[in-house]
Amino acid sequence: MTTNAYKMKQVETTKSVFTIFTGLCKGCGLCIEKCPTKTLHWSDTLGVYGTPSVEPKENDNCTACGMCALVCPDCAIVIERKK
Amino acid sequence: MSVVPNMPKSWREETKPHKFCPGCGHGLVLKALGEAIDELAIQEKVVFGCDIGCSLLSWDFFNCDSVQTHHGRTTPVVTGVKRARPDRICIAYMGDGGGYAIGAQHLVNAAARNERITAILVNNCNYGMTGGQMAPTTLPGMKTQTSPYGRDTDSMGYPTQGPEMVAAIAREGAYVARGTVANVRQLKRYIKSALQNQIDGNGFSFVEALSGCPTNWSTNAQKTWEFIEKEMPQYFKVGEIKTPGKKGE
Repeated sequence: MTTNAYKMKQVETTKSVFTIFTGLCKGCGLCIEKCPTKTLHWSDTLGVYGTPSVEPKENDNCTACGMCALVCPDCAIVIERKK
Repeated sequence: MSVVPNMPKSWREETKPHKFCPGCGHGLVLKALGEAIDELAIQEKVVFGCDIGCSLLSWDFFNCDSVQTHHGRTTPVVTGVKRARPDRICIAYMGDGGGYAIGAQHLVNAAARNERITAILVNNCNYGMTGGQMAPTTLPGMKTQTSPYGRDTDSMGYPTQGPEMVAAIAREGAYVARGTVANVRQLKRYIKSALQNQIDGNGFSFVEALSGCPTNWSTNAQKTWEFIEKEMPQYFKVGEIKTPGKKGE
C-alpha cells in the first residue's frame, strides 16, 4: 500500500488546511478533547473502523497549533498553516 | 493533493493503520520512539524487541530488525543481542504486566548488571490484551475485571513503582525516567535521552510511559485524558528519576 492509498479529506479553515486521513482515523476522539479552541467535532465521514472521524466545524477558531496532530496515535491528522 | 501522513520515517507504512485499539497509548509511545530514532538517525542499527501482551502488536511496527519474545523475556533476549552485537542499539519494549509482574526479575537484574540496553515500559494500569484484569500497577480503588469492587490495598497492596525500583538498584550511569502520553514532547525527550545513554555506553536506560487503555477502562476520550492526567500522576510521579553523572533522588 502506498501513501496515496489512504482515504483522506481536506477542510480549509481561516488559518490552516486541515487534512484528516480517514483511512487511518480510528475515531478515538483524543484530538477532540485536546483541541484548545474546541473547534474539532465528530464528522459525518467515517474512519477506517466505520466510526466517525473528525473535522473542524467553527472554521475561524482553528489556530493551527497542531495539538490534534501531536496527540493522534495513528498520525491521521496533518495541519498546514496558511501563509 | 500531495499531503502525506506525518509518520516517523522509521515506521513501516504498509502496516498502518496499526493494530492497537482506538485511543491506545501504545501508538503515541511508538510515535515518540519513532521520532527519537529518526532524530538520532539510528534506524539501521536498531534491534527492537517486543513482549507478550498488547505490546506484541508492535512486531511489524518499525522498519527495523524486530524480535518478539515470551512473557517478560524481552529484556534478557535484547541483552543477549547487545552482548553478541555491541554495535547494535537494542530496545526492549514491554507492558506493565511483562515488565513488573512476570518479567520483574529480568528487569531488575538487567538494571543491577547495568546492561547497555534501553527498556521502554508502557504502564496502562491493567492487563490489556487479556481483557483488563488487575495488574501490579492498578491504582488503589480502581475497578478492573478481577477487582470489581476496586483494588483493596489491604489484601492486594499498592501499585508497583517501577522506575523508583529500577533507580534504587541501578548503578551510576543508568538513566531512569517516567513520561506520560499526555505530554508527548517530554516523553520523546526522555526516550531520546535513554537511547543516547545507550549510544554513549553509560549503562542501563529505562523509561516508563503512563498510557491509556480506553477499551478496558471503558472510558470515552474525555474520561481517558482525565484518568491519565489527574489520577495516574497521583501515584506515578512524572520526571527524570536518575540521570548519569547526577545522584539519584
